[in-house]
Amino acid sequence: MTADTKSKEENITEDEAALYDRQIRLWGLDAQRRLRAASVLLIGARGLGAEVAKNIVLAGIKSLTILDSTVADEEDTASQFLIPRSELGKNRAEASMERTQLLNPMVQVTAETCSIDDKDDAFLASFDVICATGCGPTTLLRLDKVCRANGVKFYAGDVFGFYGYMFADLCTHEYAEDVTKPKASEKQVTDGGEGEPSPKKAKMEEPETTTVKKSMTFPSLETVLNTKFDTATSEGKKKLRLVPNTFFITKVMLKFLEKEKRSPASVKLDSDRRELNGLRHQVLHEMGVGDSKVPEEFSQFCFGQLSPVCAVVGGILGQEIIKAVSQKDAPHNNFFFYNGTDDGGFVTSIGS
Amino acid sequence: MAAVLNGVLEQSLAENVKNSKLLVVGAGGIGCEVLKNLVLTGFKSIEVIDLDTIDVSNLNRQFLFRKEHVGKSKAQVAKESVLKFNPDVNITAYHDSIFNPEYDVNFFKKFTLVMNALDNKAARNHVNRMCLAADIPLVESGTAGYLGQVTVIKKGLTECYECQPKAPQKTFPGCTIRNTPSEPVHCVVWAKHLFNQLFGEEDPDQDVSPDTEDPELTAEAGQSALETAAKENEVGGIERKSTRVWAMETGYDPEKLFNKLFRDDIKYLLSMETLWKKRRPPEPLSIDSLPTDIDSSNQSAMRDQRLWSVKECFDIFGKCLEALKKELAAQGDSGMLVWDKDDTIAMDFVASVANIRAHIFGIPMKTRFDIKSMAGNIIPAIATTNAVIAGLLIMEAFKILSGRLSACKTVYLNRVPNDRHRLLIPCTLDPPNPKCYVCAPKPEVTVVLNTSRFKVGALQDKVLKSHLGMVAPDVEIDDGKGTILISSEEGETEENNDKLLSDFGIRNGTRLKCDDFLQVYSLIITIVQTEKLEEEKEFEVVGDLSELQPKEETQTNRSKDQANGSKAGPSHAAAQDEDDDLMVVEDEEAMEQQAAQEERSSRKRKASDDTGATTTSKRSKVTDSAAAECDVIEIS
Repeated sequence: MTADTKSKEENITEDEAALYDRQIRLWGLDAQRRLRAASVLLIGARGLGAEVAKNIVLAGIKSLTILDSTVADEEDTASQFLIPRSELGKNRAEASMERTQLLNPMVQVTAETCSIDDKDDAFLASFDVICATGCGPTTLLRLDKVCRANGVKFYAGDVFGFYGYMFADLCTHEYAEDVTKPKASEKQVTDGGEGEPSPKKAKMEEPETTTVKKSMTFPSLETVLNTKFDTATSEGKKKLRLVPNTFFITKVMLKFLEKEKRSPASVKLDSDRRELNGLRHQVLHEMGVGDSKVPEEFSQFCFGQLSPVCAVVGGILGQEIIKAVSQKDAPHNNFFFYNGTDDGGFVTSIGS
Repeated sequence: MAAVLNGVLEQSLAENVKNSKLLVVGAGGIGCEVLKNLVLTGFKSIEVIDLDTIDVSNLNRQFLFRKEHVGKSKAQVAKESVLKFNPDVNITAYHDSIFNPEYDVNFFKKFTLVMNALDNKAARNHVNRMCLAADIPLVESGTAGYLGQVTVIKKGLTECYECQPKAPQKTFPGCTIRNTPSEPVHCVVWAKHLFNQLFGEEDPDQDVSPDTEDPELTAEAGQSALETAAKENEVGGIERKSTRVWAMETGYDPEKLFNKLFRDDIKYLLSMETLWKKRRPPEPLSIDSLPTDIDSSNQSAMRDQRLWSVKECFDIFGKCLEALKKELAAQGDSGMLVWDKDDTIAMDFVASVANIRAHIFGIPMKTRFDIKSMAGNIIPAIATTNAVIAGLLIMEAFKILSGRLSACKTVYLNRVPNDRHRLLIPCTLDPPNPKCYVCAPKPEVTVVLNTSRFKVGALQDKVLKSHLGMVAPDVEIDDGKGTILISSEEGETEENNDKLLSDFGIRNGTRLKCDDFLQVYSLIITIVQTEKLEEEKEFEVVGDLSELQPKEETQTNRSKDQANGSKAGPSHAAAQDEDDDLMVVEDEEAMEQQAAQEERSSRKRKASDDTGATTTSKRSKVTDSAAAECDVIEIS
């Protein structure tokens, strides 16, 4: 299903134009029409999930399904602003519903409380976009595969304390890009007046904007996660140098998620830290890169979901989803990494 | 329940977060996001101030507000909304202007740090000065569309907000607006000027009639045009009479106004033949044969989004005149309308007039939607950019609270990654500019003007308040007698306002001692006498006299390049080529206000040009496109 064909028929109403005025002035009416036709599945309703939900619901997508099978706990109070404190102990997706809906009454918001692993492929294929937060690699790999097979735009993301990542697999993605080329500037006015210096220098006419169609191809998550770094060659070394440390931290965290079926928890601070340090060594070794790729103290900064980090990663992730469904502008291919301990915010292409 | 969880933040930082006291200036786009982050992160004591009320167009990003809140105080509603996220926070909300003298240095001193989430230069300048005076660290932020930035200001350690001159605002020469428009925006500016001439505050700088002093015209040509026109146009009633008076006498008759503005004045312009030697000459319109066709295929159903024909524009023009006439009359004899982009009729008026004029000059006509962007100087704004910037703002605050001020950065959010793959670009903070006219130990500035034409009132309003950002200046002439030129006490020096500077013996080299008690700011102004400044400028402010000479040193600023790991090239130009040079940004409302203000006040502010500003190098920090009104605090 393409957002394109069905959206063109409906026009934006005056109410929508008033509400979305400031963003329509940025991305245009066509993009807004496509946005309001998009149905999104958001997996994981913790801090990052809340940020993503907020951003895309405000922007005016058609529908958002929030899926989470876990219950809210005290950690949510530090980043999950969609869950009222009175709802701690209840299902995260359901507890997020009411506040999500209040953000924009024009968006259809629903909750799903079962595990994503119990959902069949047909369910996944019914969305335009799937954004998976807080998932381990096995789940992510399956989701990516199903999305690729069904033309669903796939995003993954997570926040670990001061660190965060976003991954995108849009398969082959077509988009429009505005290219501005200044018109031939007005000729110098050489008036006959002598002595009177003409202040009318050549001036630019309004730049002419043309929209160009482009296309971009993304590697699959499987390719990405299996990427090895050949440090024997100088080219391999160079390639490795361009990969931000947050990629390797993400790999360590994914390993932890896979093993423990949960994020590191502040209630198990000491034992989880020990485990993370062990996994750090193991993961880096497996990838054939040195220990220095992940700073030793990383395990002091990777607990919980720090609200401002969720805001940064959720902001970028939300904007990428908007870009993808509106088919406007070049998407980031294929990772965004944020490291709050050193101000790093990189877009890196891995696996292509 | 503690939002600061064990193990998430280092213990000492967590303690400092809990014990700190913050001021957030602005509860708009960035402010809402900042407040959310703060209460979730575990800050316990927050004060927030915003003068503004909630508008429908805020709701796509200012997520603490909903439709039912429209018209209410942003600060108050934001407070109530975030308290639901965390009820254990002490929040004080002020629905007020930060310029209010209640918020004096002592008020600022009680905070651990201040966060700016503002949208206009005037308020940013003021908070900058208050934080310098109180010696409190300030985290400064701004967004525009996809672009954003955060920086940290600390007295004595970093540049202050005013250390570097901001990119000048774009203005258009009067003769372009009045005689030779070539772009849609020229017609929009003219249409706003016409609104003010007809209904608003009359401003001689906003004359809409043909300009015979156009430098393009030789003296002779101008003169002959005048003579010809005088003969030709007596019927049209174009003699030098105030447009307002004339329009009122006709009862704002649409046909008469149309004939004068779009037929006779255009014929008059045509008589200035020199102007049209290399330009397409304008074509005067006749009411009887207005084009009804539209040369566009994109005819959306929405009135805002489709092009109007010239005939349609004329009809709208007529309806607007009728409605605005009534509005003006309802205000009584000395009534005056203020143009507002959100006032349907005022906006319709500008859209129709701008398009008629565009048609005459062969300039593409625009939709009302596009004209509103230009006329209102609307900066687009989205939730995601604000969210990212607000997040980064807290990250800088963490460094300050950890006592790691030296680790603070200016961080830019770009639209696409630079060639080192950075989407977020951190730059080292520069040390203060020793010649800064705000944060230097003894601030000094040079003002170039014509003392025998410049009035004291203009010195106060245009130079000291508008340009130099003072709120309530006191000025004493450094003449050995301590003559008081301007007093902030009401009624003390008003009689000076209409006098010329030369009447007080002010001449080349005179020094003025200026003080602003609220900002705890003293500035020495040296006057440089000049007969005439270029481009219709009334005055020019230069940091110090050496700036009047050609620039030699450009090498001050290598540090930011190095911070990025980019090569610090030998020349400035090389550094600019790195794509991490900054994007300059500004908040939306700023632009909007700027436009409205631009027309009202006679300050020359320029519509900001984000891309243009990038060429000045990454130094320009938050460019203020916009200097908006002095009494508004709000933000996007």
